[in-house]
Amino acid sequence: MARIYQIPSHARTWLTLGIVAASLPQLLRGPLWQAALLLLVLGWRALIERQRLASPGRLVRLALLVATVAATWRSFGRLHGPEAGTALITSLFALKYLELVSKRDAYVLIVLGYFVCATVLLFYRGPGAALYVSGCLLLLTASLAGINYSDTHARRRQHVRTAAVLLGQALPLAVVLFILVPRVAPMWSMPLGGGQARTGMSDTMSPGQVSSLTESSALAFRVEFQGPPPPPRERYWRGLTYSYFDGTTWSQARPRGWRDRDTLYRGRGAAPPWYQSLLAARGDAAGYRYRVIMEPSQRRWLYALAVPFTDLDGMGLARDWRLVADHAVDTALGYRVHSVPAARAGALTLEQAERDLMLSLPEGGNPRARALAEQWRRQYRDNSARVNAALGYFRQRPFHYTLQPPRLSGDTVDGFLFGTRRGFCEHYASAFTFLMRAAGVPARVVAGYQGGEMNAGEYLQVRQYDAHAWAEVWLSGQGWVRVDPTGAVAPERVELGLRGALQRAGDGADAALGGIGRLPLLFQLRQWVDYLDFNWQKWVLGYRQDQQRALWQRLLGGVSPWRVGLALMVSLAVFAAVLGAWVLLRRRDRPITPLQREFHRLRRALARRDLTAPAAASAAELAALVSRARPTAARAAGHWRCLFEQLAYRGEQPPARAELAALARRRRALLRALRR
Amino acid sequence: MFKQAWQRWLERRLPRAAQVRLDQRRIFIFPSGYGFLYVLVAVLLFIGGINYENNLILGLCFVMLSLFVVTILHTYRNLSGLSLRAGASRSGFAGGQGALQVVLIAQRRAHRSLWLSWLDQPPQEISIEPGEESALWFNLPLPRRGRVTPPRLRVQSRYPLGLLRSWSLVALDQACRAWPRPQSTAQCPADGGDGHREVARAGQIGSEEFQGLRAYAPGDSLRQVDWKGYARGRGLHVKLFQEPANGRLWLRYQRLEGQGMEARLSVLCYWVLRLTRENRPFALELPDATLAPGQGDEHRQRALDLLARHGGPR
Repeated sequence: MARIYQIPSHARTWLTLGIVAASLPQLLRGPLWQAALLLLVLGWRALIERQRLASPGRLVRLALLVATVAATWRSFGRLHGPEAGTALITSLFALKYLELVSKRDAYVLIVLGYFVCATVLLFYRGPGAALYVSGCLLLLTASLAGINYSDTHARRRQHVRTAAVLLGQALPLAVVLFILVPRVAPMWSMPLGGGQARTGMSDTMSPGQVSSLTESSALAFRVEFQGPPPPPRERYWRGLTYSYFDGTTWSQARPRGWRDRDTLYRGRGAAPPWYQSLLAARGDAAGYRYRVIMEPSQRRWLYALAVPFTDLDGMGLARDWRLVADHAVDTALGYRVHSVPAARAGALTLEQAERDLMLSLPEGGNPRARALAEQWRRQYRDNSARVNAALGYFRQRPFHYTLQPPRLSGDTVDGFLFGTRRGFCEHYASAFTFLMRAAGVPARVVAGYQGGEMNAGEYLQVRQYDAHAWAEVWLSGQGWVRVDPTGAVAPERVELGLRGALQRAGDGADAALGGIGRLPLLFQLRQWVDYLDFNWQKWVLGYRQDQQRALWQRLLGGVSPWRVGLALMVSLAVFAAVLGAWVLLRRRDRPITPLQREFHRLRRALARRDLTAPAAASAAELAALVSRARPTAARAAGHWRCLFEQLAYRGEQPPARAELAALARRRRALLRALRR
Repeated sequence: MFKQAWQRWLERRLPRAAQVRLDQRRIFIFPSGYGFLYVLVAVLLFIGGINYENNLILGLCFVMLSLFVVTILHTYRNLSGLSLRAGASRSGFAGGQGALQVVLIAQRRAHRSLWLSWLDQPPQEISIEPGEESALWFNLPLPRRGRVTPPRLRVQSRYPLGLLRSWSLVALDQACRAWPRPQSTAQCPADGGDGHREVARAGQIGSEEFQGLRAYAPGDSLRQVDWKGYARGRGLHVKLFQEPANGRLWLRYQRLEGQGMEARLSVLCYWVLRLTRENRPFALELPDATLAPGQGDEHRQRALDLLARHGGPR
């Protein structure tokens, strides 16, 4: 019974708060019974502490444990994996709190609490989450300090102060460790999985789908350029290509008889010929160097400008110049790319199987479009003339760019080209590619993002509403050439981005963007928040091997292991020495009163004037010393001494500010008298 | 063997002194069991952070490790600068317990949650604020007569976080005096008085005659205080009795023959106690020391101390 008092009451508050705070994020996202469990435990605990209820016996605890495990199993279907594991640990954490009796239980509980804090960071990664977890850390550390200071005189606030001081002192070393401890590759893969599907590109495209994307202003990725960024009309972020059309839907496809490894090079094994010829064509052309920080998309494809080259670490390059990650992107992912448009020259041959695929069309359907293409085929011998004819067609006929096109059914291409003539990029790209294939020009649809906004001149934000689709056609002698039929209809979409295009057109679709154009202040605020978030992504979340190498190179002038090891050792030693000196040798461990400070000031001032007082001199001795050495200053010294003694010995009442000021004036008068 | 070497090493490194100030030579520090658990969790977080490629979890791990490093300093600091001084001592009979006082002095900083113990006794916890002194009494079993030096005092602290344990083994220059264990005999080993007469039984007041009162002085036996008068508000006085002319007894070591030294001292001890209880004056003669005749608690104390010291170093 008495064992309950092993945890001092002044520490229990922090412990309870720490437990609630550490569990809260999981309670918000986990099943409801978890919150009920914690409430039950808190209530029970409160009653135990008021001695209304006994601590639960072994049987009750066992029953609760079994029930918790069963409920976790029921909710998640398993006990391992991040989701279920976090839920289980959080529940066990609550149960442990219920059986808290001895100091030992409290230790285990608190150390477990640190672990629970870490599980929070699995699912929340913003700067806010980090701040929140720091708060939990403070509470847990305060409870740790509390259970180790079982003096009844201890105050609650004291523990938090202790914890804050300790954590504050620990922070510099933590930062050094963060920078210098090498990030190694994962020992085994632990996919987070289970994430919600996010808005983004999908494997297939049937006109009408991208419009739903366009309404989202969620971030897709950010790009940080080394050197000047390309002009807006060149910012075509290729994500995936669609080469198969079934009459309504475009989808990805491989040429007949080809296997995955024929179209994708992951950087392992001998480089295929197509990759070697791309590399040869790249030569040492400048191109664009940049780093993309992608938001989780739950998809494997990555976005880059044509033709992207990377270190192929964790990703591969596809034959159609796309980057494909080895795993679905389920956390923010940063990767460096060197894009060289000139490397297009390295792909000047089209194999027969590829050509067949790029010319393939469904058996029937869309007769009017086929007839129009057939007419161009007969009229122009040259493929590029056929492309121009199609673009001219879009330009001359009354086509409109709009985000709210009428619905199409049946022969969608015919319906769009000869009927509605209203649509957005998907409609144009789809119809254009269809026409080209029908006219005998190999063509494919490319989906990705176009444009992006610069933030603070430092990086480019590409949002979901920048999603775009365009076409690429094969021209002999030139290889794959990008053609954007949307640009023929609405050049401002390409030049200004979607926001600019809509503002200029005065299209009512502005509302679809949440009215961000109309509230400049809010927009500005959002840019700032995004800027903060970008730097967080870049320096904290995205601080991986490559960035670490770059930073080491800058800080240490090299990345050899001994250099980093030495830097670690040196910074650890410097940290220990500085902190040790600060903690152990600080002269003022005991706060001194203003009066003592005044006394020491005079004493030091006298010492500078060769009037060194003995170690334990009183105010009277100080004054006597002055009077003996400089009789002219005796009066001033007496004045100072009088006031000092009056303030020091009059009793409980501490000196007021005005009195201290008067004392300081007398000290200065004394020092002036010494000068004369 | 190992234990002896350890003790010798301690003796060299931390010699006995009247006052000891704990510094880096005297303080040992090592992670506690919970400290190891804490580090284990930090290592688990490191593995998790690497595998999930989660820099925030890695950051949390680094904060935990740095906190551990910082705590080393603070745990050390909590003991560093603490002074311990040998205080008073309480003697006891051999086979019983004595007590020693240790004074803790906090000079520059607070020392919190210190656990002090020796032997297997439950530790006493104390916190001292800067500029304060605190005294603690420790019981010391007295196995044999003579001067009993205490074992090393273990001063230990886990403040502030309990992840580390810093401790020192302090040897203060102090000792308890163990009086002989009283051994009753029928025959009083004394000369003088009325020759070899039987001494009155315990509890009985002797044949003294009441003479008057005098003001109480420290050292007077409490048995002789005039409590009735004190209750009436006349102040603390001592009743004086006329000493019987021949009542002065000489307890002599030499008179106990045919017994070992400890047995003789035990008998003498018994008679010192008994004669004091009966308010009879006595003198004590040992082979190497003599106590002049006297009576009262202070006299008894002197006699017992003489018995305790006998045969030992001066």
